[in-house]
Amino acid sequence: MINILKNPAHRAWLVLMIATGMTWYLGEVGAAGTWAIVAMLAIAFVKGRLVILDFMELREAPMMWRVLLEGWLILVSSLILLAYWISLK
Amino acid sequence: MSESSPITNQAAASTKRLPGDLAIWFFIMAEMVAFAVFFSAYAFTRAGHVEMFNLYQQTLDRNLGALNTVLLITGSWFIVLAVQAAHRDDQKAISRNILLGFLCGGGFLAVKIIEYSAKFGAGISMSTNTFYMFYISLTFFHFMHVILGMVILAVLWFQSRKGVYGSHDANGLESGAAYWHMVDLLWIVLFPLVYVMR
Amino acid sequence: MQFKSQAVAKPYFIAAIGLFVGQILFGLILGLQYVLGDFLFPAIPFNVARMVHTNLLIVWLLFGFMGGAYFMIPEESETELFSPKLALAMFWIFLVAGALTIVGYLTVPYATLAAMTGNNLIETMGREFLEQPLPTKLGIVVVALAFLFNLTMTMLKGKKTAIAMVLMIGLWGLAVFFLFSFYNPVNVVLDKFFWWWTVHLWVEGVWELILGSFLAFVLIKTTGVDREVIEKWLYVIVTLTLISGIIGTGHHYFWIGTPEYWQWWGSIFSALEPIPFFGMTVFAFNMVNRRRREHPNKAAVLWALGTGVMSFLGAGVWGFLHTLAPVNYYTHGTQITAAHGHMAFYGAYAMVNLMMISYAMPILRGRAANSNKSQVLEMWSFWLMTIAMVFITLFLTAAGILQVWLQRVSDTPLPFMVAQEKIQLFYWMREWAGVAFLIGLIVYITSFFVGGEEEKAK
Repeated sequence: MINILKNPAHRAWLVLMIATGMTWYLGEVGAAGTWAIVAMLAIAFVKGRLVILDFMELREAPMMWRVLLEGWLILVSSLILLAYWISLK
Repeated sequence: MSESSPITNQAAASTKRLPGDLAIWFFIMAEMVAFAVFFSAYAFTRAGHVEMFNLYQQTLDRNLGALNTVLLITGSWFIVLAVQAAHRDDQKAISRNILLGFLCGGGFLAVKIIEYSAKFGAGISMSTNTFYMFYISLTFFHFMHVILGMVILAVLWFQSRKGVYGSHDANGLESGAAYWHMVDLLWIVLFPLVYVMR
Repeated sequence: MQFKSQAVAKPYFIAAIGLFVGQILFGLILGLQYVLGDFLFPAIPFNVARMVHTNLLIVWLLFGFMGGAYFMIPEESETELFSPKLALAMFWIFLVAGALTIVGYLTVPYATLAAMTGNNLIETMGREFLEQPLPTKLGIVVVALAFLFNLTMTMLKGKKTAIAMVLMIGLWGLAVFFLFSFYNPVNVVLDKFFWWWTVHLWVEGVWELILGSFLAFVLIKTTGVDREVIEKWLYVIVTLTLISGIIGTGHHYFWIGTPEYWQWWGSIFSALEPIPFFGMTVFAFNMVNRRRREHPNKAAVLWALGTGVMSFLGAGVWGFLHTLAPVNYYTHGTQITAAHGHMAFYGAYAMVNLMMISYAMPILRGRAANSNKSQVLEMWSFWLMTIAMVFITLFLTAAGILQVWLQRVSDTPLPFMVAQEKIQLFYWMREWAGVAFLIGLIVYITSFFVGGEEEKAK
């Protein structure tokens, strides 16, 4: 088991599965409002980052490309957060 | 997330490389900008129609959406394994993993079609209301990207059967893989945004 | 010249330049009519001058595309043209048909022309840019089919390179989408809906493929950069063009009676249309910076860089300015559109044709490049025309902003004609910039007749 988890791809897959389950569960219990939104965005952010770093293998890539992709993720999450924050007011 | 120390950073400077072709990354960025605009348009429009969005979001099938997330992530994972197999020249594993990734994509399409036929069968269309307009637009645009990704995977599979990829050259495989991961990445944002967040 | 049959391109280029002159002259008449409403009335009314101005533009660009394709395809396929005779015959048919059409516009009232040319058989006339009488439209189809047949046969017997494939897809697309000019449903919404399939899918779709492929061809020839590198860029640009351009058609569907979702689809996708143009700018500069040799034809390289920049500014930036539905709600059909149209057509399609002519003409005249004297003159004309066009665009933009303000945004909106009178100053300035453009064009033509020591053909 420990050996299998040495492969970053396997690790990432496992975390992604658990995270997907969490988002699904939050939907099932009807979570809504500020904390639910922040939690779901945080989960999506962690998932996206894992895909970028371990699936796309940008961990070892030139800084510019990491910044571009991770920057995209930060930008999109912030815009969504901003829009939802406006909607809660 | 572990950050590498300055020393290893220097050592790694010479080996830092972008997997796949520069052109595909340019393309991926352009696609992601398109989706970023779409996502923000959804979120900001929702801010003006919160009740409508919250009401109709309930009609979406979260289980199928989550199942599709699982399928795409697993499909992405298989493609990573294919790239890893290429770097250790395990020809059989390359083709097998690409095929498994492709099948995951096919599963995604099948689930999506089930979901669509339920919605369209109920007479829902892009003109029904703003929420459904976004739901159909976003998911269908993404659907088309899954299809394109699968076409790319199919090409990769045929090439891999000819033994094109290996530790000597995995550029084509890595380029296609990067695109496939993008399809996954986009869904990871799309699913909570459209199906769950309220 | 590598292949004798490439010579058929020459008459096409000459005709293109000739019609270009005509277009500019009518542009000046038209510009003057904006400020002196009865100038040349009733001989040449505004609507006729406008029709001639836009139709000449389309026809000269088509001549340029055909000439460029006849020059490029044999060289790319590494074989003689399938039938040079057919190409020449089509040249004369197209030229005569084009000339007759213009004469028809100028001598007969449009309604009479329609009655004379059998518009009652299939009603295709009377729509902007597609005003041509039925026989002309059919002629265009025949010429286009013969042209495509000729080039496709040439390619089939020779090499099939990626950039030639992109060009052929662009040209076939051009022909296919022209067929929608024959489809004219009575329902006005459907009419407009499909009218854009010709107009939009030409200039923001398949023509961009022609542009990209011409640019790639000239860059390969003048910079010596590896074909593989250039092809890779071309693939990316083509894909981005098609993704943004096809659905981007929606930015014409905001207010014509189509479903509301087009406001979203049209805004989002057309907002992405600048990206492939930006790609072309980066592409042109990148390749020229990585050049492996100094090509003697400096003027052609200048045009290549110029089209990279100006197409991005004109089509990309000025298009983006008014492409989002909430903005377009105010700017639709104002001088903002005219500003965008002028710089986009010049920057993308006029300049890419001038680039091709600049590269090919010296070779067709038996030398690698024109004399230094001639090239200096050509570069002068480049700057004169380009800067004049920048000013035309800026003045029209100013006129447009003022018009939008006075006529639409204001709490007490002015009627159309009153608003027009308030922006006369900008129309005058635009007219003078147009005169500068004409001077640039005269300098350009002069450069063909300047001798001096030429680069030997290789």
